[in-house]
Amino acid sequence: MASIARKNLFEDIPRFLVAQAGIVFAVSLVTIQTGILEGFTRSTVQLIENSNADIWVAAEEMVHFELTQPLTLGQVAQAQQLAGVNRAEALMIQSGRWRSTSGEIAPVRLIGYDPDGRLFRLWDIKQGNQSDLNEPNTIMVDETNLRSLQLDPENGRGSINSIPARVVGQTQGTQSIATSAFIFTSLENTMNYVSAGLTSNVLCDVQPGGALECSTVYERSDSPADPAASQPRTLTSTDPISYVLVRAEAGQNIEILKQQLEDELVGTQAYTQTEMADHTRSYWEKRTGIGFVLRLGAAVGVVVGMVVVGQILYASVSDHMKEFGTLKAMGASDRVIYSIIIEQALWMAVLGYVPSMAFCLGLGAWTFATQGITILITPLSAIGILGITIAMCGGSALFAIQKVTHVDPAIVFKA
Amino acid sequence: MAASQINFTELGTRFQRGSTAPRLINEPAIAAKGIEMVYHAGTQSFHALQDINLEIAKGNIQLLMGPSGSGKTTLLSILAGILTPTSGSVFLLGEEITRMSRQQLSRFRLRNIGFIFQGFNLFPALTAVENIEVILKLKGYRVGAAHKEALFLLEQVGLGNKAKNLPQDLSGGQKQRVAIARALAGDPQLIMADEPTAALDSQSGHAVIALLRNLAKEGGRSVLMVTHDSRIIDVADRVAYLEDGILKR
Repeated sequence: MASIARKNLFEDIPRFLVAQAGIVFAVSLVTIQTGILEGFTRSTVQLIENSNADIWVAAEEMVHFELTQPLTLGQVAQAQQLAGVNRAEALMIQSGRWRSTSGEIAPVRLIGYDPDGRLFRLWDIKQGNQSDLNEPNTIMVDETNLRSLQLDPENGRGSINSIPARVVGQTQGTQSIATSAFIFTSLENTMNYVSAGLTSNVLCDVQPGGALECSTVYERSDSPADPAASQPRTLTSTDPISYVLVRAEAGQNIEILKQQLEDELVGTQAYTQTEMADHTRSYWEKRTGIGFVLRLGAAVGVVVGMVVVGQILYASVSDHMKEFGTLKAMGASDRVIYSIIIEQALWMAVLGYVPSMAFCLGLGAWTFATQGITILITPLSAIGILGITIAMCGGSALFAIQKVTHVDPAIVFKA
Repeated sequence: MAASQINFTELGTRFQRGSTAPRLINEPAIAAKGIEMVYHAGTQSFHALQDINLEIAKGNIQLLMGPSGSGKTTLLSILAGILTPTSGSVFLLGEEITRMSRQQLSRFRLRNIGFIFQGFNLFPALTAVENIEVILKLKGYRVGAAHKEALFLLEQVGLGNKAKNLPQDLSGGQKQRVAIARALAGDPQLIMADEPTAALDSQSGHAVIALLRNLAKEGGRSVLMVTHDSRIIDVADRVAYLEDGILKR
C-alpha cells in the first residue's frame, strides 16, 4: 500500500531538502540551546556532584558554590568530633589573578582542597597526580584553560597574585562555563596565593603647626615575589575556608546529622550534596537570567520550526488540494485526510530530527574538546527533543488541516 | 450476496459483470426530484438549477449536455452527493442521499460511486497501480488484496504493463484508463463522469467511450456523464439538455 504522505513528501526532492534544512535548523537550535543550558548548569555543580561528601556545611549567607562567607579551619575539627561523622575535610574557594610568563593577566578561581583527602577528588585527570599538589606552589588546571592562561602543556608556569605557580597536571571536564578558570591546588597553596602580594605602608606628613598626620595604604604587588619568601605555611584553626565537607558514618540519618552540624557549627547551614547542587543550579538558572535566556532561545527554535514546517506543509497541501478534494469526493473521511497530513508532518519530524541530533552531537564533541563548553544531550533530553519536534511538526500540521478542512470537493470537477 | 465475476478485455470490447450490490426491481438507480440550487452573493441570488426532475434506470447511460455555465457540473455534483441542493431530493440506489449526514454521504460515495474526471485527478506522486490501491484500501481491502485487485483492474483497461508508471509517464488516454480502472475499484454501481473524453485525442476518446458503454451494458452499472462530446450520444440511452439551469429533454 502506497503512503500518499510519504510519496507527496518525496515527490519534489529539492523542495523536500529545503524543508528538511529548515527543520534541521529549528531542531538544532532547540537542541543546542537546551544542551547549553543543561551543560551550563551541570558545569556549575559538577565539583559538588563529583565530591564524595554526604553533607556540605556552608556559611548561612552562602549564595552559591562560588559565593559564600568564610568559615574557619577549626570548624572542620569541630565537625570531625561529632558523633555520626566519619570524616570531615575543608574546601577553599578564592579568587586570584593569574599572570602568564608573557605578562598577560587573567582572573582565576582557586579551588583549595586536601590532595590526600577523600571527600573532594579530581575525577578526570589527563596528566599528573593529585598528590603532587602537596608540593609548594603547584597547581592543576583544566585542559580547556591552557590557552586562556597561556600555559605550556608540558611545563606550564606562571604566577598567581605574584606567587609562582607550576602546573603539575591537567584535568578534563572540570571547568564551569559560568566563571573564571579553575585552578586546583592544596589548601596551603591556596592560602599562600590568597595572602600574597599584600603590603601595607604607613605614610605620615608633618602638618603646618607641627601636627603629624598618618594614613595606612594597602597595596597589592604583582611583581615576582621572592621564591624563598613565598613558601606556603602550615594552616591554623583560624584560617578561613569556604566549606566543611562531611561524610557520615554508615547508617547515620543524614537529616539528623545536618541538624547536629548546624547546631554545633555556629553561623552555618548544612546541605546534602543534592541540596547543595540544587541551590547552586537554581542560582544560575533563575537569579542570573541565564536559564531564561537559553530557554527563550529554545522557544524561539520551536517557533521557527513550527513556522518552517507549517509553511512547508501548507504549501504541500495547497499543491495537492485537488488530490485531497478527489479523495473527499470519492468518499474518504476527514480522518483519512488528516492522517495523511499528520503522517507527512511526522515524517518531516523524524527526518529532521535524526540529522539534527547527529549534527548537535558532533558539535557538542567539538565545543567540549576545543572550548570546554558542554552541549549536554542526555538520552532523556534527546527523547524530550524528539517529543518537542513531533509536537512542533504536529502543531504545524493543524494549519494545513485547517486548509484542507475547507476544501470544496466540487473542485474535482474543475479541469 | 452473489459472487462477483469479472471478465474484461482491453478497452472493454468484451465486458461482462455480475453485480454484488443489492438491487430493487423497477427502482431507478438515480432519481432527482425538484432540485433547486441557488447561490447568493451579497443581495444577489443566482438560480443555478431550477426544478430538476430526472430518473436514470439501472444499466443505462445518461448524458447531460448543454452549453458552458448551464449547470451541468453543478447537477452532477448534487447527484453525486458532493453538493447539497438548496431544495429537492436525490435518491441513489433507493436511498435518499439528501437526508444523509456528511459522514453517511462519504461512506455512501465510497461504497457506491466511481468517479471519472475530465482532468483525470490521479495522484501524481503515486504509480498507476498505487492510484487504484489507495481507493481499494479506503474501501477496506487488505494491502495484498488491494495490490492484486489493482493490477487486475489495470490489466482489464489494457495497462497491465504500465502499473509502475507515474501519471507523468502516461499519455492522456492512458491516464483516463487508469482513472476508469480506479472508478471501477471496489465494484461501485454508479459511475459519475465529467467530460471523460474532453482531454483525449480521437482514438483515445473512442476507446474510453467503448469502455464506458460496456461498463453500463455488460457490467450493469448506471453511468451519468456530463459531456460536450457528440460521439457519445450514439452509445447513450438518454440525453438530457440543460440550459440556464433548466432541464430540457
